[in-house]
Amino acid sequence: MKNITLLFIAITALTLSAFKLVDYAPSTSKTTEDVVPQGYAIGDEASDFSLKNIDDKMVSLSNYPDAKGFIVTFTCNHCPYAVAYEQRIMDLDAKYASLGYPVIAISPNDPALVPEDGMDEMKKLASTKGYTFPYLLDEKQDVYPLFGATKTPHIFILHKENGKNIVKYIGAIDNNYANPEDVTERYVEDAVDALIAGTKIEVTTTKAIGCSIKDSRKKK
Amino acid sequence: MKLYALIAFVFLLSSAAHRIKTPPVRASVNYDQLKEIIEKNDDKLYVVNFWATWCRPCIEELPHFLEVSSAYENQAPFQMILVSLDKAELLETDVAQMITKLNIDNDVYLLDDNKRMNYWISAVDSTWSGAIPATVFYKNGQKLHFTEGQLTKEELTTIIQKHL
Repeated sequence: MKNITLLFIAITALTLSAFKLVDYAPSTSKTTEDVVPQGYAIGDEASDFSLKNIDDKMVSLSNYPDAKGFIVTFTCNHCPYAVAYEQRIMDLDAKYASLGYPVIAISPNDPALVPEDGMDEMKKLASTKGYTFPYLLDEKQDVYPLFGATKTPHIFILHKENGKNIVKYIGAIDNNYANPEDVTERYVEDAVDALIAGTKIEVTTTKAIGCSIKDSRKKK
Repeated sequence: MKLYALIAFVFLLSSAAHRIKTPPVRASVNYDQLKEIIEKNDDKLYVVNFWATWCRPCIEELPHFLEVSSAYENQAPFQMILVSLDKAELLETDVAQMITKLNIDNDVYLLDDNKRMNYWISAVDSTWSGAIPATVFYKNGQKLHFTEGQLTKEELTTIIQKHL
């Protein structure tokens, strides 16, 4: 009797664990490896683009013959990190546009996936905040992959050299998204200041947490 | 009849054993403290998921992460740790609410090391751009796999099976 009991228990236990394993066994053996986004490296020439602005006009870098460079800022309406940086992006344009480095903001998300990032919502935000810079929609989502932007906010500083827009800095605006009062590293300002002064940019790439760019063609 | 009673008893015991667990951790840590937690020499596979309450793709993938976690946690040397990148002051509010809403009983750490992001994002993985979700797999202090972006239930299971 004892043996039968033990056998029964053993079989039950085995059956149960087998069920669990089967339940969670992989249905495919294919492992998806992430493709590291291509995009620009420091020193690369950035291609010009033509994207629709919040005033319904198309904007290109070539529309700014007097600019010495650009603070190309991939940002959007919905992302809390982008929201945290709204004022600081406006401050950058206020400080540097007159010195030859205007902010060009580009929203890279697919509005079908994030309705708050649609053109009408962008227009509303820009007018509420009083944006002084273009806020473009990457409608075909073919500009952000060219740059290699992966998240918002994601900054690319360009410098005009012999008529070419050369990538000089890629990364975050500063080192404290949560508290502008407690920023100790101003990456973008330091880089633009160095360009203006004609000195070497000390920190050319930085990383920060951001919202992934929403694109139905790729993994989120 | 005795036999049924015995089987019932064994069942009760085993299911109780599955449920006896220390209460999950809810704590703010800096990167150095997190590193000590996830890079242990204990033959356990650590699945570390970086998420935030505001991150939609993160919240989308969390339910199946939790399913996979509960399937493995009592059957293998395995632990899934969730690392929130919310603001530190949201641990007791937004993060706690999401923990309740999604019925999370995994350890949840809030990585409160915002000013050193430029250091620890690359330290976690040199290919990580900083976009979330991101998931990293460790065993005995060795990183075995890193993914930036969502993982399906099948992809997650495949990676776990490969490294258990």
